[in-house]
Amino acid sequence: MFWRHRWVALGGATAMGVIVFLLLWELILNVLHVPRYVLPPPSAIFRQFQRHFSLIWRYTLVTEAEVLVGYAVAIALGVPLAAFIAFSKFLERTLYPSTVALEMVPKIAFAPLFVTWFGFSFLPKIIIVMLITFFPIILNGILAFRSLIPELFYFSRSTGAGPWMMFWKVRAPAALPQLFVGLKIAATNAAVGAVIAEWIGGDAGLGYYLQISAGNMWTDLSFGIIVLLSVLGLALYYAVSVAERKLIPWHVSQRVLQARS
Amino acid sequence: MSDFFIAVEDVTKVYATKAGPVHALGPVNLSVRSGDFVAIVGPSGCGKSTLLLLVAGLLECSAGRVVLGGVEVRGPRTDVGIVFQTPALADWRDVLGNVLLQVELRGHKARTFEPRARELLDSVGLREFEHRFPFELSGGMQQRAAFCRALIHDPPLVLMDEPLGALDALTREQLRTDLERLWMNTGKTVLFVTHSITESVQLADYVVVMGPRPGLIEQVVRIELPRPRTIEVREAPQFHRYVHDITEVFLRRGVLTR
Repeated sequence: MFWRHRWVALGGATAMGVIVFLLLWELILNVLHVPRYVLPPPSAIFRQFQRHFSLIWRYTLVTEAEVLVGYAVAIALGVPLAAFIAFSKFLERTLYPSTVALEMVPKIAFAPLFVTWFGFSFLPKIIIVMLITFFPIILNGILAFRSLIPELFYFSRSTGAGPWMMFWKVRAPAALPQLFVGLKIAATNAAVGAVIAEWIGGDAGLGYYLQISAGNMWTDLSFGIIVLLSVLGLALYYAVSVAERKLIPWHVSQRVLQARS
Repeated sequence: MSDFFIAVEDVTKVYATKAGPVHALGPVNLSVRSGDFVAIVGPSGCGKSTLLLLVAGLLECSAGRVVLGGVEVRGPRTDVGIVFQTPALADWRDVLGNVLLQVELRGHKARTFEPRARELLDSVGLREFEHRFPFELSGGMQQRAAFCRALIHDPPLVLMDEPLGALDALTREQLRTDLERLWMNTGKTVLFVTHSITESVQLADYVVVMGPRPGLIEQVVRIELPRPRTIEVREAPQFHRYVHDITEVFLRRGVLTR
C-alpha cells in the first residue's frame, strides 16, 4: 500500500535504478580489468570522498557560494529589468539591443580579464556566474511580462487600475510560469559558470580541485568531483522546481494528466 | 441627445498597420437608451468588436466621438462591465477571487464585496465552485464566472463581445436564457455583439445590423416580442419574421447567399 503513493514509488524506482547502475558499473570494471586512470569503479570514488572529505567539503561550500550569490544577483537584476523593458518602449529601444548584443559575446572570454581586474577573489566568479545566468532570466522575463492575454489586459484597464495595481495583481502572477522557465534554464548553467570561472582564476572550489585532480590523473577523484558538481546543479534545479510548485500550483505545467494507464 | 445613455456620433476607426491603414469601422451613428438590450450582428471583420471597445474607451476613435451617460469617452471607462468571447479569468485565482478581482483592482477591500460575489455566483449556479480554479471548470462555467465578474461592481452598462461564441450549443442555449433573466432582474443597459441572428432576436430590444468591412450600420430592427422570450415566443411566426428580415439584409449585402 505504501508503494502506491506516486512519489514514493517514483523515488523508490529511481533509487533502485541508481543502485543497480552502480553495481553493474563496479562489476563490469572488475570483470574487464579496466585501468584505474581510465574509469574508476564506484568503490574507488567513494574511498576518495572518505580520504579527502574535509577538503572536498570546504571546496563544495566555496563553489556553492559562488553559484548561489551569482544566481541571486542575476535574479535581482534580471527580473526587474525584464519588467522595465517589457513595459517601456523607450527602454526597449535603448536597453534591449544591448542585452542581446551582450548575449552574443562569449562571456567566458571575459573571465581572464576579470582575473586581471579583480584578482583571484570571490568577485570575478560571482560576476561570471551572474553573466551566464542573467540572459535566460531576462529573455524569458521579457516574454513573461509581455504574455498577458489581450482580454485580461482590456478587463484590467476597464477597472481603472493604476500601473502598480495592475502589475502586482495581474501582470506579475501572469508572468510567473514563463519566469520560472528562465530561472530553471539559468539554474542548470550556474554550476558550469562557477567551475569555468575557477579554472581560469581560482585558488579554491570544486572546479579548481577538478583541474588539479585531472592534471595529476587522479581519475577517481575527478569522477567524484564531477558527480558532486552534478548533484549541486541538480539540487539548485530541484530547489527552483519546488519553489515553482509552491508558487504556481495552478499552472498546467504542475498538473499530472489524470489518465488511466 | 441627453436622454440617450450611449450616443455614438459619426464614429470611425482606422487601424494603422504595416500594410497601410485599415478602415475597420464607420462612420457609424447609434443611440441607445438606458435599460435597453441592444444586439449588434454582423459578419466577421465588420468592426462590431471594435465598436464595443470604442464605447468602452479601450480604443480611441479615429473620428467622431462616443458619449456615455452624458460624458464624452476619452479613455477607458470604469462605469462598464465587459465580457469577452474567452472568459479571460485569472488562472491563479479561484472563482471567488476572480469575481473579486474586479473590485480589488478598483481599490476596494475584497472582504466588503464577498457577500455580493457569493450572491452573484449563486444566481448563476456556481456557488459550490467558488473555491475551484478556472482550469477545473468547463467553458460554460468559466464564462458564467466572467459574467459575475462583470456585474459585481454594479455598472450601468454591460458590454459583451460574443460571450457565448466559444461554447457548445446546449450551454449556449441555457446561458441565453440565464442572461435574459439576469438582465431583466438588474435593469442594466447591455450592448451585445454576436454573429448569430437568432441569438440577437431572442435577446435584444433592438438589433443593429452591420454590413461587411468597412463596418457600417445597415439597419436597426426593433424587436417587439414579449419577455421573457420563452420557447413559445421563439417558435412563434413573429420571431421568424424578424430573423427573416435581418437575414434579408445580409443577403442584400452579399454576406449570405441564397
